[in-house]
Amino acid sequence: MDFALTEKHEMARTLFKEFAENEVKPLAQDVDEEERFPVETVEKMAKAGFMGIPIPKEYGGQGCDILTYAMCVEELSKVCGTTGVIVSAHTSLCCDPILTYGTEEQKKKYLPDLAAGKKIGAFGLTEPGAGTDAQGQQTKAVLDGDEWVLNGSKCFITNGSYADVYIVIAVTGKVEKRGRMQKEISAFIVEKGTPGFTFGTKEKKMGIRGSATYELIFQDCRIPKENLLGQKGKGFAVAMHTLDGGRIGIAAQALGLGEGALETTINYVKERKQFGRTISQFQNTQFQLADMATKMQAAQLLVYRAARAKDTQKNYGFEAAQAKLYAAEAAMEVTTKAVQLHGGYGYIREYDVERMMRDAKITEIYEGTSEVQRMVISANLLK
Amino acid sequence: MGAMTKEQIAQYKDVYVFAQQVDNELSGIALELTSEATRLAAELDDAKVVAVLLGSDLGSDLTDQLAEYGADRVIVVDDPMLKDYMTEPYTHALASVINEFKPEIMLVGATAIGRDLGPCVSARVATGLTADCTLLEIGDFPLKAIPGKEAEQKHKQLLMTRPAFGGNTIATIACPDNRPQMATVRPGVMQKIEPKKGAQADIIKFNPGFEKNAKYVEIQEIVKNVSDVVDIMDAKILVSGGRGVGEDFTLLEELAEAIGGTVSCSRAVVDSGWKPKDLQVGQTGKTVRPNVYFAIGISGAIQHVAGMEESDIIIAINKDEDAPIFDVADYGIVGDLNKIVPQLTEQIKAAVANK
Repeated sequence: MDFALTEKHEMARTLFKEFAENEVKPLAQDVDEEERFPVETVEKMAKAGFMGIPIPKEYGGQGCDILTYAMCVEELSKVCGTTGVIVSAHTSLCCDPILTYGTEEQKKKYLPDLAAGKKIGAFGLTEPGAGTDAQGQQTKAVLDGDEWVLNGSKCFITNGSYADVYIVIAVTGKVEKRGRMQKEISAFIVEKGTPGFTFGTKEKKMGIRGSATYELIFQDCRIPKENLLGQKGKGFAVAMHTLDGGRIGIAAQALGLGEGALETTINYVKERKQFGRTISQFQNTQFQLADMATKMQAAQLLVYRAARAKDTQKNYGFEAAQAKLYAAEAAMEVTTKAVQLHGGYGYIREYDVERMMRDAKITEIYEGTSEVQRMVISANLLK
Repeated sequence: MGAMTKEQIAQYKDVYVFAQQVDNELSGIALELTSEATRLAAELDDAKVVAVLLGSDLGSDLTDQLAEYGADRVIVVDDPMLKDYMTEPYTHALASVINEFKPEIMLVGATAIGRDLGPCVSARVATGLTADCTLLEIGDFPLKAIPGKEAEQKHKQLLMTRPAFGGNTIATIACPDNRPQMATVRPGVMQKIEPKKGAQADIIKFNPGFEKNAKYVEIQEIVKNVSDVVDIMDAKILVSGGRGVGEDFTLLEELAEAIGGTVSCSRAVVDSGWKPKDLQVGQTGKTVRPNVYFAIGISGAIQHVAGMEESDIIIAINKDEDAPIFDVADYGIVGDLNKIVPQLTEQIKAAVANK
């Protein structure tokens, strides 16, 4: 068992870190303040190859492993939670399902542009009435000749309106399961600009304020028959498998947020003086930092283990759920303590830690709430 | 207020209604009440329907109309004091009519006027009043005879039913020991009968004499309300549209106008910039409790339903039969709102015209 990262991983991390420090950090406050989607950063990331890290080279990606991708999200999130989630939603929630379930034609058609960052990806599962209970879908897709006709709406969709390619989950019928009628759910690829596909509300959020979170609206939206992703009726499995992977991305985002807050705090307590000495000399500060660092280290090991599992195992839902649950809750706790250790200054928007605390909260909610993660974990334990 | 003797009670006969008029035009409730009175009178022993018309310079067209809707007799008090509604002269006039003519039942419409007049009159003639009734029947009191006291059960009493505690309970009330049995009746609840063209009623002119006293108020100004901007939280009928309606709310506005309702909407409509935020119903909008809520082209996400599920009646129109709005709707139509709403508007217009 070797915990040391390979040289390749260390080099990649250095690249991500430099990019985050030079390109992302300077914009982080404004992006948050103005609730602005950082288009210029996305263009730079596309050039640097960040939008296609785990996509095989044959489809125009970098051909790296999931751990490298997780480290990218981690390093970006250390300075800006918004930028981290843009990469995560694009890679895990749009590229990955096409790579896993797409036909050769679909992969050839969509992946190169996505991997090159010429196009951005998004994923539409959640609806007003279907959050944790994803079976509660209302959006319908009906086959009419050579086209699927979509009707319904999705809400809280990350990268909404900026993304060009959307994985959309919809009900395609009813099937009998164990004597009960259940919804049959399928997955589709829908492109921006398709008639009948529009964007509704842009949500005003507590954190990750630069991330575009939109409502998707489908009104008699017609897409080609061949845009069905995977088998008809297997959409729920597509969604769940996709979310398993997405949880690694969000766990990495939470990890980055917590680590970023910890680093910022360590620097601050060494400078800040009260009672004639730096506050780092108080034992309370030291113990708090010890706890924070230990938590983040544990979270990192869980996240990296989950990333490995996705590369090497068929099923990695268990590892991904544990990583996301722990990293998200650790991030919330660590960012909250980071604000406390900054004292009154931590509550001021000029300092980064309050933004990190606001950003951290969502990691306990999206791509499956902490409660859902506990459901997944316990279901695995009690099999 | 003591109980009357059997002999005293026996002197009271017939079903009387207060025929409310404003600007010498009968209010709809007046005709609803005479219609209801004919139904009640049919169940009593040779009881007549008597309308009491109070006002100034009243034309014969009003009495003719009351006769067509079932009044056998109209007692007219015509005096300049009664030109506009004022509590004291009207109370004096109606209480005097009751004392003079002794009605068994006295019905008043639960309008703004009637709700003011009814209690004042009932106090003056020392009898019971049930407010805001939605159902009137002739029956026994108590409803079931008490064993061993069968002889004490009174028959052919007016049983007055009204919602109480904000509509959460229904109370049936009787007034067995005093006369008249008085009720104010909610407008729009009682069905009008088919008018009998050319029917005539006995006209009795009666003047109790008016003397100004300290209870007379002076009317400074009467303001006719023509405001059509209603706070959706106060509206009794809401015609609410969602994204399915689209930008053009004309169909809904026409329906609202026909039924006397107000237009409201879902968040999607506000976000699209089609309607202002103060018309939004839902968790982040307003919480409404109208008598009737039309949910048109609204899917019925909980975020919306939370703001309107307390409505008395919910009517949903949506093309998707699986839309969650149908889970909370009392009545639902699956279909194209662009076809359904205009038809509904026409039907309502026709029904209103025939009322």
